[in-house]
Amino acid sequence: MPKKDTPVKKVVIYSLVILIAIYSFFPIYWMFISSCRTYRTLFSSTSLIPGPFSLRSYENLLSMTKYLINFKNSLWVAFVTTGITLICSILMSYVVTRYRMRGKQFILHSMLFIYMFPPLLLAVPLYFIFTKLRLTDTLWGLIISHTTITLPLGVWLLWGFFKAMPFELEEAAMVDGASRIKAFFWVVLPLSLPGILTVSIFSFLLSWTDYTFGLIILSSDIQKTLPIGLATMVGAGDLNWGEIMAGAFLISVPLLIMLVFLSKYFVKGLTAGAIKG
Amino acid sequence: MIFFSGGTKKIIRYPHFIFEKEMKSKDKYIVIPFLTPGVLITFFFIVVPLFMAIRLGFYHMESYISPPKFVGFANYIQIFHESSFWNALKNGFVYGFISIALQVSIGIGIALILNETFKGKSFIRGLTLLPYILPTVVVALTWQWMLDGSIGVITNAVEKLSFGKVNWLETPTLAMFTVIVVSVWTWTPFVTTCFLAALQTISLDLIDAAKVDGTTAWQRFFYITLPILKPILVIIILLRGIWMFNKFDIIWIMTKGGPLGATEHLPILTYQKAFQTYDIGGGTAVATISFVILFIIVFIYLKIFPIEE
Repeated sequence: MPKKDTPVKKVVIYSLVILIAIYSFFPIYWMFISSCRTYRTLFSSTSLIPGPFSLRSYENLLSMTKYLINFKNSLWVAFVTTGITLICSILMSYVVTRYRMRGKQFILHSMLFIYMFPPLLLAVPLYFIFTKLRLTDTLWGLIISHTTITLPLGVWLLWGFFKAMPFELEEAAMVDGASRIKAFFWVVLPLSLPGILTVSIFSFLLSWTDYTFGLIILSSDIQKTLPIGLATMVGAGDLNWGEIMAGAFLISVPLLIMLVFLSKYFVKGLTAGAIKG
Repeated sequence: MIFFSGGTKKIIRYPHFIFEKEMKSKDKYIVIPFLTPGVLITFFFIVVPLFMAIRLGFYHMESYISPPKFVGFANYIQIFHESSFWNALKNGFVYGFISIALQVSIGIGIALILNETFKGKSFIRGLTLLPYILPTVVVALTWQWMLDGSIGVITNAVEKLSFGKVNWLETPTLAMFTVIVVSVWTWTPFVTTCFLAALQTISLDLIDAAKVDGTTAWQRFFYITLPILKPILVIIILLRGIWMFNKFDIIWIMTKGGPLGATEHLPILTYQKAFQTYDIGGGTAVATISFVILFIIVFIYLKIFPIEE
């Protein structure tokens, strides 16, 4: 039975927790209130109380920059990357856990090994290959380069997942007359939904937040994804911190929504070694 | 699969392959199509580029479309003679070691506090994850705004404490400090979350027994909690270490390696060579060197702290 904490200890714990909450949340709070402040206040006061409110920054952001196009690009890249990662990693890790085959340890180890590579070591030759394939400054080039990070991660996570799933389940289905393919689609896939969800979340997150590959591969404004588009706004002409914070807030919204509804899977993925950088 | 045999506490581990299926020729119709897409992507866009990267380090190229010229070790010799390389190497170690040490100690501290009982626990835990899931660009720009030289909220607060106006990103030593602080803020939640999950596996009986024996909280932490969680800690430090050593984006956005090369480390040097001065051979050579260094460090680390399955 947990013992009741003494009042002094309670006060100490609650004040530490509040400190941690402020430490974690203040920059996000500041980003948000800066994005919806009037211009004059934004550059004259650092009052912690929000307001006076104005949506000027958001209006400017949407009318003066290619933000909506960037948003669309980012969504497309993140969804396609996630799709490719899921298909490839589910198929690969399933077969590899179910059959005895040569070179299996090799695949597993190389996936872990790839984790260690400096992304820039991969980026230079990839750019070199993309110039030959005419994929530089295209979203497909970016999708392929994101897949080089998300695929090893997906295989790594699902490998552990499929290995832990009892083989008897699908074998029972097969005894009942289902083919292996059927057993895979009707028994294995539905049961591995939590694992698949974790991989989707992290693929989406990696692709949505990526800056390095986008910086290298994309050059024209209409191809840029959100992080690259936003970073180029700093110090560019008529834009200022109000618009930049508005843009930063809008990029974060999908992630905040994901965190609220799927935090269980975030924790699951993190503790299984899913690293975002 | 773990079985306990008889009264002895010895654990017999049956190798996993006993339960795997021997591959028959009819299974090829499943195995090959299932493996092909992933293997093809891995081969053409990961394995081939890596070999190319190592090869490119021995060539000289003017641009990404000009024909490469073999120059042997010339790129490497050149790099070892550049002071910017040694500066970048030093900065990389400073940035890596300090930011990992801070992430791990702060992360453990926060995890220990969040492991206590208080109201709204799951909400606060979600809140502490926020810095980690934000895009690096958002983190870097928000902090740049908070540290703005004329009207940044932190700059002003520090000024009110009568330290004067601080130029966070324009003073060489301070710039490194600032970059480290921001990195620690955004990547600590990884340590917190992993450590918190691990803390919950420790049985409360053990802690209670130690309490009955009259131990202090510090003793319980250093003699019970820490030894039990050591294997997890070893992995956390390894993963964070690999990523902090390779970190590029946050420093590039905030300082571009400046001022005066004060925050320039190996990834920044690689990018500058490969994509700004178009010294592609030199850039890949720097990246290869940094990979070899990382590999050696990881190797030594794993010799000192072997990871058990």
